[in-house]
This record gives sequence, structure tokens and C-alpha cells, in this order.
Amino acid sequence: MKITEDEIRRITLEAVKELGDKATPDIVKSVVEKSIENFSKINKENIGTEITSGRIILTSFGLNSSGIIAQITKTLSDFKCDIRDLSQKIMDEFYTMIMVIDITNSPNDLKEIQEAMKKVAEELKVKIYIQHEDVFRFMHRI
Amino acid sequence: MPYQFDEILETIRMTETENFDIRTVTLGISLRDCFDRNIEVAKQKIFDKIIKYGRNHVRYAKEIESQYGISIANKRVAVTPISIPFDAFHRDDFVEIAKTLDRAAEEIGIDFIAGFSALVQKGFTNGELEFVNSIPYALSETKRVCSSVNVASTKAGINMDAINLMSEVIKSLAKKTKDNGSIGCAKLVTYCNVPEDNPFVAGAFHGISEPEVVINVGISGPGVVLDAVKEAGRSDLNTLAEAIKKTVFKITRAGELVGRSVANKHKIPFGIVDISLAPTPAIGDSIADILKAMGVEDVGAPGTTAALAMLNDCVKKAGLMASSSVGGLSGAFIPVSEDAGMISAVQKGNLSIEKLEAMTCVCSVGLDMIAVPGDTPATTLAGIISDECAIGVINDKATAVRIIPVHGKKVGEMVEYGGLLGSAPIMEVRKISSANFVLRGGRIPAPTRSLTN
Repeated sequence: MKITEDEIRRITLEAVKELGDKATPDIVKSVVEKSIENFSKINKENIGTEITSGRIILTSFGLNSSGIIAQITKTLSDFKCDIRDLSQKIMDEFYTMIMVIDITNSPNDLKEIQEAMKKVAEELKVKIYIQHEDVFRFMHRI
Repeated sequence: MPYQFDEILETIRMTETENFDIRTVTLGISLRDCFDRNIEVAKQKIFDKIIKYGRNHVRYAKEIESQYGISIANKRVAVTPISIPFDAFHRDDFVEIAKTLDRAAEEIGIDFIAGFSALVQKGFTNGELEFVNSIPYALSETKRVCSSVNVASTKAGINMDAINLMSEVIKSLAKKTKDNGSIGCAKLVTYCNVPEDNPFVAGAFHGISEPEVVINVGISGPGVVLDAVKEAGRSDLNTLAEAIKKTVFKITRAGELVGRSVANKHKIPFGIVDISLAPTPAIGDSIADILKAMGVEDVGAPGTTAALAMLNDCVKKAGLMASSSVGGLSGAFIPVSEDAGMISAVQKGNLSIEKLEAMTCVCSVGLDMIAVPGDTPATTLAGIISDECAIGVINDKATAVRIIPVHGKKVGEMVEYGGLLGSAPIMEVRKISSANFVLRGGRIPAPTRSLTN
């Protein structure tokens, strides 16, 4: 595990605060070990979210009617998806919507979300496409 | 929002309405360790190895398909040219191996397996001669096996003996599969300067310098390019070239992403992206339509070759910029039967074999899926193949011939294959003879271009 200088300083300060002038080499050792353990736990959680950073892009369009976004966002919230960005336009009687969604904390995988959205699309009679963000990054960003 | 509205809509448009798809994800498997003196043991080894690596091929590809919303039209397998590891076998053994490949392909759920191949540009080994003679039996007795034979290269020259033999093989195969429009010939490619990493079946195989297993990807998207050309409107050619390149760049990037993702799932190396515009019989998925949108009235009009050259070059340049692992054929394919626009040009009498031959000088492969009358003599087929080889050898490029002398059919009739193979009008072939030239046999020596060492 890599520890930055900043982290070492924080561990030291914590040790000083806890031990004051009672410090002996053995006590210092145990306190430092405990702090490092805590740090690595936090780091592991962070790394976990980075690796599976699963952002997907949902595109939907069709004839405008009431409750489309409500229905879509409700389904997303059922899946514990986090909406990161949303952009929507109405052109005459048509609406277009693009959402950037984080599915990292969702217990369901992309395929299950796609299946559910397929049903929503059929109910609302609109088109809904869900694709992994990577495909847009690869095609439009270098 | 990290992406612009129109960027996202562009991607959706490409995948949903313009037929942009990954044409093929091809799993290359080396069979070089599968030889055994006992044919039964060898067959078992081949079968087991294909199942071992190919078992999840279709499933993985489908998972990636839904993840990115880009369809993968074909999932296929290419193996080591069969003639190489199994050189000690005889004709009937090779037919048995073909049947084993067929069975393995069916088992893992793919429609075609390629690599029933030989490289004989400089001459035959005894095994290779047996192998080539087995092709008519192997392809007529199997459904999924595809075959290719390389008969010429810039380094070796043109092996006319091999071309004559291949012409006989094509005739014999046409006769053996006469009840199905001589479909056997649609699964057989005669090559010059064959690339070793081409993912496109029927001409794919797992080259001898390739690793144990590899994933290669073939991207297509004539529909996407067609719309880009139409959108560019009446611009000059420089602007048009820019428009084509930008579009091809994007689809190549998507192809690379898909290829790498499938390879990651398999935990095997990713090989190359082959960005080739390959048409399908679907409306709008046509190279002929792109050429027409560029400005020629119909394919075959003067100027067609120039338009195709520009298109092919743009595809290559954009592919090179988009991916650091471009390989295979990379360019534009101009098969007749698989392209509704080409078929109509032939039916209207605008496109002849001779004009197609000129176009193959600048496209990425050669005379592809061309149906000719069943009574075309083998020596005439040999003449056509040697012309293509000459173009390939002198220009240092891959060329190929996939020609179908349809048994019992005459000029103007149609033959239906269905699916991706489409339907082909029988094209006219010149009646004048090539016999005295091709039957001299021997080898046309390699050109000065070969001396680059």
C-alpha cells in the first residue's frame, strides 16, 4: 500500500494527540498500525468505486406526454441508480432526453436495467436506449 | 453534461438507423499442436481445442453487444491453415477434419468456421496437393466450413499450376453443390498476398505468426458512410474526403472498444481491427450507393474507379488514426451478390466483370461473389484468377477471387442464396479462350518489387 506524505503527517498527529507524553515505542507501534489499517480500509473502498465506475447513458425520445420522466426516474430509483446529469429538449410535439447515470451502487447489472427500461419504453410508447458510457468516450473523445 | 447532445444522438443514429454494426468478432485458434499420426486422435484434439476456447465466444459477444448497444452481426472462428499442421494426411483425412470443424462450429453455435486453407504461392508439398484436392469434397459435405488458398504473392510470383488446380476445384465444387446454386463456391476464396489476420470469413484464417489464440474484429458500416456522404452535399472532393474520414474514425474507435472488451472477457489477447466497408443485402447497406452518392450515375460509369479509390483511401487513413492495431484487409469490399446496388448495376448492364476488375485495383480485396455461367471453362476461370493475382502481385496488395460458375445457369438469370450471401445475377464472361496461356503452367516470376531486401 502506498501512503502519501500528507497521510503520514495525519497519522503522526493522531498518535501525538492520543498518546501525549505517555508514548513508549510499543504503544506508538500499535497506534500507528491501527491507523494504517483504517486508512487501507478507506482506500480499498475508494479503489472499488473507481474500478467499477459504471456510468451509462440513457437516451430517450418520442411523442411528448405527461409522466415520461417520472416513470423513467422512478424505475431508475428502484434500481438505486444515481442520476448525474440530465438534459432535455422539447421540439414541437417531440421530446428528447439524455441522462448520465451512475449505476455503481445499484445491486442490478446493466442488462437488468436494460430489460426493465424496455418494458417502460413499451408502456410509454417511446424509445429508450441504454449504452455504457465508454462507447461515447471512445467515439467522441480522444 | 460530459457529452454534447448531438454527439450522443449521432451515436444513436449510427447504431439504430444506419446499420452500423461490428460485422464480425473472430476468435483465432492455433491448431498447430493438434497433430497426431492417428487421424481419430487428431480429430478429437481439434474438436476439444475449439470447444475449449470457443465455448463462451457467442455468449461473451452478446454480453458486450448489449453493454454498448452496438450489434455484433457475426461471431466466428478462424483456425490455423489446416494444410500446415496436418501435412502428413491424405485427401480423405482432410475431408474428415473438415467434418470435425463443422461439428465443432455447430457445437459452439457459430455459422461459419474458416481456416480450411493452404498457402501454395511458390509450390505444393505432397500434403498440400492432397489438401487442395480434398476441397470439393470437404465443402460439399459440410455446411459451416470455409476455405481459402493463397496462390500468388509479390515475393513469390504467381503459381499458375495452383491456379489451374483451383479452377478445376471450383468447377468440381460447383457441380457437387449444383442443387443449391453451386453455393460451395461461395465458401472458397482464391487469394493473392493473403493477410494472416483477416477476421472476415470466408477468407479468414489464423496465420502462422499469430499467437495461440486471439480476437480480431471486423467493422463495417456502409450505411453510416453513405449518410455522411449525403450530408456533405455538393462539396468539393477534399471536403468530402474529410467527412468520410471523420465518420470512419468514429466507427473504428467503437470497433476497437468492442474488440478489446470481448478479448478481456475471454482473457486472451486482442489482435487487430479490420475496418472494411462490407455491404449486406439490406437496403442502405451498400457500397454501390456510396459511389452513387459521391456522384457517378451508376456503378460502372467512368469515374467509378476513382471514386472507389478515394473511398478506400479515406477508410484506411481514418482507420489508421483511430486504432493502433489496424490490420486485415481494411478498405472497401465490392462483392456483387451481397450488395443490392451492385446487383442492380449488373442487371441494368452498367457493370461488367472487366469494370469490376479495374475497381479491384483500388479496393481492398478483389472479385467477390461473382456468379458466372456454369459452362464457363476452367481455363477461363484460371485466366480471371491470374488477372487478379497480377493486380495483387504488381501493386503489392491483397486480391482475391470468389467466383461461382453456377451449374446449369445462363447469363441474365439469378441465383438466390439468402441471408448475408444475398442473390447474384449471372454475369457475362468473354468467350475468347485463355487456355493456351494458362495451360503453359509453371510460375510467373516475382516482379522487381519483390526485391526490397
